[in-house]
Amino acid sequence: MLEISQLQASVEEKNILKGLNLTVKPGEVHAIMGPNGAGKSTLGYVLSGREGYEVDSGSVTFNGQDLLDMEPEERAREGLFLAFQYPTEIPGVSNLEFMKAAVDAKRKANGEEELSSADFLKKAKAACAQVNLPLAFLKRGVNEGFSGGEKKRNEIMQMLLLEPKVCILDESDSGLDIDALKVVAEGVNSQRDDSRSFIVVTHYQRLLDYIKPDFVHVLSEGKIVRSGDASLAHELESAGYAWLETYSEDGEA
Amino acid sequence: MNAWFENALNRAVSSVEQASDALSSLKAASLAQLQQTPWPTRKTEAWKYTSLKALENCHFDSSQPAALAESQQFTRLQALDGLNIIIQDGHIQTDISALKVPTGMTINTLSQLGEVPSWVAEHFGQAKPQKHIFGLVNDVLANDVIVIDVVAEANINTPIKILHQASEGKEGQSRVLVRLGEKAKAAIVEVFMADSNSSFTNGFSEYFIAPNAKLEHYRFQLQSQKAMSAGGCHFSLQSKAKLNSTFVGFGSELSRTDIDILHKGEFADAKLNAVYLVDGNEQFDLHSTIEHEVPNCTSLENVRGIAGGKGKATFNGRIHIHRDAQKTLAELNNRNLLLTDTAQINTKPELEIYADDVRCAHGATVAQLDDASLYYLRSRGVSKEHALVMLNYGFINALVDEMSNEALSEWLRPILQQRFAEMGE
Repeated sequence: MLEISQLQASVEEKNILKGLNLTVKPGEVHAIMGPNGAGKSTLGYVLSGREGYEVDSGSVTFNGQDLLDMEPEERAREGLFLAFQYPTEIPGVSNLEFMKAAVDAKRKANGEEELSSADFLKKAKAACAQVNLPLAFLKRGVNEGFSGGEKKRNEIMQMLLLEPKVCILDESDSGLDIDALKVVAEGVNSQRDDSRSFIVVTHYQRLLDYIKPDFVHVLSEGKIVRSGDASLAHELESAGYAWLETYSEDGEA
Repeated sequence: MNAWFENALNRAVSSVEQASDALSSLKAASLAQLQQTPWPTRKTEAWKYTSLKALENCHFDSSQPAALAESQQFTRLQALDGLNIIIQDGHIQTDISALKVPTGMTINTLSQLGEVPSWVAEHFGQAKPQKHIFGLVNDVLANDVIVIDVVAEANINTPIKILHQASEGKEGQSRVLVRLGEKAKAAIVEVFMADSNSSFTNGFSEYFIAPNAKLEHYRFQLQSQKAMSAGGCHFSLQSKAKLNSTFVGFGSELSRTDIDILHKGEFADAKLNAVYLVDGNEQFDLHSTIEHEVPNCTSLENVRGIAGGKGKATFNGRIHIHRDAQKTLAELNNRNLLLTDTAQINTKPELEIYADDVRCAHGATVAQLDDASLYYLRSRGVSKEHALVMLNYGFINALVDEMSNEALSEWLRPILQQRFAEMGE
């Protein structure tokens, strides 16, 4: 489904990703852990096509297509979703209007008709209820004045509406108390099936207690230095990341 | 002297010679002042950023209106709740005497009135400062005057819509005079539209709001690129009078609007929301002046503009707090969005404060569209073009949301969205 090969990328001419390899098959949940500055957020931005994140070499194939050749909106319509660590506040553009436009754009790209306002509203209300967001948030400006936890839940609400094929969750647990964390995790788990895949980027093992990964990878200095199953996350939790320094240059475990 | 102004002066002279009504001495005075007024150039402070060249060599016909040809939007506007007064190329087309005017209010034209009521003679030209050159032109050349009088304590729920259209080769001079009696309430909507051809509209309106009266006012100048316009709306507020006004202006080769709010009685309260949008080679120039002449009044002005293409927008916001106007609360907020490197915004808050116990806040910003917002919308599948429209619209939507006439804001929204869709990056 998603095949990242030897990906090198830079921001403001600083090399951040240095030959990253990752293969995500349908239905799999991959956790990516690692210290600050390892390139975790950069990976999400590069995959979603953010301006200023330059791909220097390597390739990314998504459903057999060259992902890096697509505009950000095309990637989204193709089924890529990035839940942001710091969602942008956009006063004046209502959440509802925004999501209607996004869902319609995706449906149109798939040759489907736009949803009627009433049908869409029904879906949006259900999505809000699932992540415990009051309905008033649909009318408010996108993320405008939302608390940290509300922003994260709003991201998951968008995910529920867009029904993507690959979801990248960029530190969706940061700044959440345990109840909010459960809400986010339940939202994600409700979407898990044989075809939908997740890349869960996180600092802490805590989120992975609720979203059980099939694979755990350690990202350090722009590449994956170790991969394992869910038990690796526990190991990291107790050992920290200091051991990374003892790894050799191309240290694959 | 240029051809247009020379022609206007000649018409003004013959108009004054023929005038025999109670306004003739007022017209003569305006003409005399006009004859002393030099044609503004870029060295004239009030016209520093706006060239009048586009108008200078034009010859327009003002003698009769073109046949009425309505856009869909214009038709839909008429269908909204309220009374319609149609002005085509400066000529009133509606049979005013046949209007079903609500109890407590009269609507007339000056020509129908025969004898000019004394209040009209006393008020005409008194809210509009004499400094506006196109206002002086309008004093003399307005074909007729729409006179609206709301009696004391009348609560008029029917909006009065004064709807202007301009068509190719025409010049329209229109004039409106409104009086709200004590504790009266009314809503007046002024809309200016035009076809895509060259024309000139010069429309002025004056509002006199008696103690405790409340006016809800809208002025939308939705002209096209070649349809030039000048004009203004001017408000005089007595004690505890309340004004809530929303202005929307599209640019053209020449667009200039002057808004004056005069606080004449204590505890008057004025709120003005204004939006201007320019694109292509258009320009738009909004000058607002708030005169705090007496103590304890409040004014709040929110002005937002967007400039795309090679468009040029100018906003001059003057607040004048007179020596006796203690305890004034005045706030002016101007935010602008530049969509291109070639677009231009000139913004100038102008505060003149002679009282020492006042609160007066002002701010002006010019910014570019936020890349992070654009990326966020696109990352969900919204096209770049649509995202730009949403963001531009979002920038001014807060002011549209504040309009209390919802049917009117529903009418306006798609027009703004269409406008944003056409605006150049």
